[in-house]
Amino acid sequence: MIYIILQLIIIIGLAPLMNGIIRKIKAISQKRKGASVFQMYYDISKLMRKDMVVSDTASWIYTAAPYVVFGSTVAAALLVPVCATEGWLNSAFMGGDALVFLYTLALGRFFLMLAGLDTGSTFGGMGSSREGLISSLLEPSMLIGLFTLGLASGSLSISRMMAESTAKAVPVLNPAYIVIFIVMIIVLLAETCRIPVDDPATHLELTMVHEAMILEYSGRQLALMELAASVKQLIIMTLIVNMFFPITFALPAGAAGVALAILLYAARVMLLSVLIGIVEVCTVKLRFFSVPNLAAIAFILALFGFVNYFVLGR
Amino acid sequence: MNLSVTDHLFTLAIIMFFAGACFGLLFCKKHRAANTLSNLFCMAGSAMGTISVVFHLLKGGGPVTVLNSVPGIPNFSLQLKYDNLSAYFLLVLFILTFAVSLYSIGYISHYYGKRNVGIFNFLYCTFILSMMMVMLAGNLLTFFIAWELMSVVSYFLVVFEHERSENVKAGTVYIIMTHLGAALIMIAFMIMNVLTGETSIIGNGAFFTALPEAAKNACFLLLLVGFGTKAGIIPFHIWLPKAHPAASSNISALMSGFMIKTAIYGIVRFIICGFGGIKTWWGMTILILGIVAAVLGVAYALMEHNIKRLLAFHSIENIGIIFIGLGMGMIAYSKEYYPIAAVAIAAALFHTLNHALFKGGLFLGAGAIQYATHTRDIEQLGGLIKKMPVTAVFVLCFSLAISAIVPFNGFVSEWLTYQSIFAFIPKGSLCINMISIIAAAALAFAGALAAVCFVKLFGISFLGLPRSEHAGEAKEVPPTMLGGMGILAALCLVAGLFPKIILNLLDKVLIETAALKIYPNLSGGTVPVFSGLTVSGNKMSMIAILAVILALIAATVPAVRIIGGKADSRKYGTWDCGFVEINERMQYTATGFSKPIRIVFRILFRPSRTLAVKGEHPKYYPDKMEYKVGTVSVFEKYFYDVIIRGLHRFSQRVKLSVQTGSIHMYLSYILVTVLALMLYSRLF
Repeated sequence: MIYIILQLIIIIGLAPLMNGIIRKIKAISQKRKGASVFQMYYDISKLMRKDMVVSDTASWIYTAAPYVVFGSTVAAALLVPVCATEGWLNSAFMGGDALVFLYTLALGRFFLMLAGLDTGSTFGGMGSSREGLISSLLEPSMLIGLFTLGLASGSLSISRMMAESTAKAVPVLNPAYIVIFIVMIIVLLAETCRIPVDDPATHLELTMVHEAMILEYSGRQLALMELAASVKQLIIMTLIVNMFFPITFALPAGAAGVALAILLYAARVMLLSVLIGIVEVCTVKLRFFSVPNLAAIAFILALFGFVNYFVLGR
Repeated sequence: MNLSVTDHLFTLAIIMFFAGACFGLLFCKKHRAANTLSNLFCMAGSAMGTISVVFHLLKGGGPVTVLNSVPGIPNFSLQLKYDNLSAYFLLVLFILTFAVSLYSIGYISHYYGKRNVGIFNFLYCTFILSMMMVMLAGNLLTFFIAWELMSVVSYFLVVFEHERSENVKAGTVYIIMTHLGAALIMIAFMIMNVLTGETSIIGNGAFFTALPEAAKNACFLLLLVGFGTKAGIIPFHIWLPKAHPAASSNISALMSGFMIKTAIYGIVRFIICGFGGIKTWWGMTILILGIVAAVLGVAYALMEHNIKRLLAFHSIENIGIIFIGLGMGMIAYSKEYYPIAAVAIAAALFHTLNHALFKGGLFLGAGAIQYATHTRDIEQLGGLIKKMPVTAVFVLCFSLAISAIVPFNGFVSEWLTYQSIFAFIPKGSLCINMISIIAAAALAFAGALAAVCFVKLFGISFLGLPRSEHAGEAKEVPPTMLGGMGILAALCLVAGLFPKIILNLLDKVLIETAALKIYPNLSGGTVPVFSGLTVSGNKMSMIAILAVILALIAATVPAVRIIGGKADSRKYGTWDCGFVEINERMQYTATGFSKPIRIVFRILFRPSRTLAVKGEHPKYYPDKMEYKVGTVSVFEKYFYDVIIRGLHRFSQRVKLSVQTGSIHMYLSYILVTVLALMLYSRLF
């Protein structure tokens, strides 16, 4: 129980920081000072206190969507232990079943896409339509990736996969894992609307995806939507760091161990966000209709990873 | 023969349906009375039937004979029996007919005074009876008679609104396709009967084990194509998207919810249970067909804007998902991994029930939309959530269920299918594994695309602003129609939250028909209905998921309140970029919504667009612009049209060279034939 509460606090608490770090990296690359890494915390707390403007076309779906999206995303977060230690892994919700994870996220996405259509605005529909394409193109790659990792650990449970990774010395050097790692990075970039797929910093209607769907939201509803998006980003990052870069040395027992594990976790996800920031700086945004190529690459790589698992050893 | 009370109840259920049919005809002139009485009888029959088959499944104890009539004609006997497999499918049928009949009381009211409601009700009851008879058929002959009866009655129902030429065309395609399938089934039955001398199909053990290997393979292919045509697997699916929009919605619900499942029943009955041994390549064939149907079905559905055509294509997708489960089960069975096979086949049968619930419900929802707005075109709808709030909630439930989203029933059966694929992969060869993982990927892809498609269906028709006057003036449908949908929506949730209820019944089915037990691999015990599912160490409990999500939402609401304090919300128009006020024509359309997918998969859809500008000086002063977007049905164009053209050419040639119309030629044919026959009798 204590782990579940810790998990909730860590995931929700750390999630906005990742966006801050990525923005900071981009600012530095542009020789700007940039906003503080904590800017998103200020934004959210400000939005929480603001009044809302609700479209008069909107129905209850629009009002319910932020809560459903946030609730289901956080529920998915409970399936992904932040630290691969015994206690965390055992307390993962339902053993962290990978399929439940995927389909719980799908619940949030379903309502997010509906919310985009609810206000009758063109932008919302545009965003939903694009989100639908991107997410469905990447779903098979993510599934094959998780299946392959699951085969290595003999179970589709995310905790077992993490335990297996921890048992391997440097899992990312394993032939199956290294390919799946690339797949997961592509999934991360696409699912969280990062640069080669979508530019989160822009509000230009030709390019937006996630921003278009939540364009009509304001106040606390917007805050929940933004927070849910950053939580989703952090869960996929958590998956990546714990699957491919686990802590392989033994941690001290007791509270000190837990604290150390959390610190190490925070350090690793921050490093990963720096990496994502660098990727965002170095790549250009793809044309929307080139995204399928990226998805195809991810799919082929995922299949390669799967075959590697059988051919080159486990 | 010792019949218990529940078995008698079953007979009574059959009588109820007969009574429904008769009252339909009797009150032919009094539409309201005919419709209400007939549907009430159907509901009573369904309720009795449900009780009796549930008791039969719980109690067990071998097949029950309902009717065994052996008239003096040799080789002719009618046998009606049911075992656990039949009982399970009958359960699906009865649940569906109960809800659909309740719905029909209100829905058919738009026929009052316009059409012969009595005949419609007669056909409706006969259709249900014929589907029951397919499930009950105890021998090959009865099965075939029932199968034909079902096809013919459903044809009449498809062409019921016969004054529209497209309905008649749809009916023709349907009856031709279904009879091609029936012909293949008949050939298979003949082979099976002649080579084994066996006619019974329900009883203990496999009946056709004595068939030679080659004959088994031939029968497998014949039955697969024959039943596949009924199920609507690609490429034999072309009748489905035509027949569903033609039939009225309650009939579509029955056809899609159950009639296409009779093919699944046929496959399980004859191929999995009947031959007493399954070959790996049979499973592979079914698996590959399933993958193709699942992905292409949903892909074509995305391009449709007619709700019922869209739903028809989703039936193809769901049959694909069922086929993936069956195929996986057959592969595992042939490799003797029985626990995995049990889970996979159970998943397929579970999905059969689930599909009946949510697709039946969706067709009823489509009927409600049509009832209220007089259109089936999504592009004409919009904003219905405010006009029809209850229908909207139900359709949303069905949409979530069909997209396999937690916490509805679609997820449970897909989860089981995924688990069986996952459990089998470490045991299979690389070739099977590649197909299995592609099946898993296809399932994920189809699920994600289905979600997009139902966001489109729900989002465009229920949300936003009304796109036509009809949609703006829509009113909520009568309570009986809501009741019908409500029952199915509630069952979608119940079957999702308590999957063990269904799995306990399925366990009985599989033990009796294929000697497979679900539970060795599905640990966690049989007793507590609400405990979670566990397959090879993977746990899943829908109640827990629902509870956690609800708890999180419940915690978020006050948390936000505490952090942010009290905040006002103001109603204002949707942001219009500072121009004129937003109107319904500025909204995203269904065509626009699915456009990215149309472009990405253009190889599949072959989209075309034409822009015609009309006017005196069209280049500078256009009076009128016409913009058309279309997709090509690849299978019709490159498969069926080719065959039809070939046949046409062949018959033309026959007409010119053989059947010339010249009497001399015909006389010489007779001469040649007589000579040939004389020669034949002389020589042999």
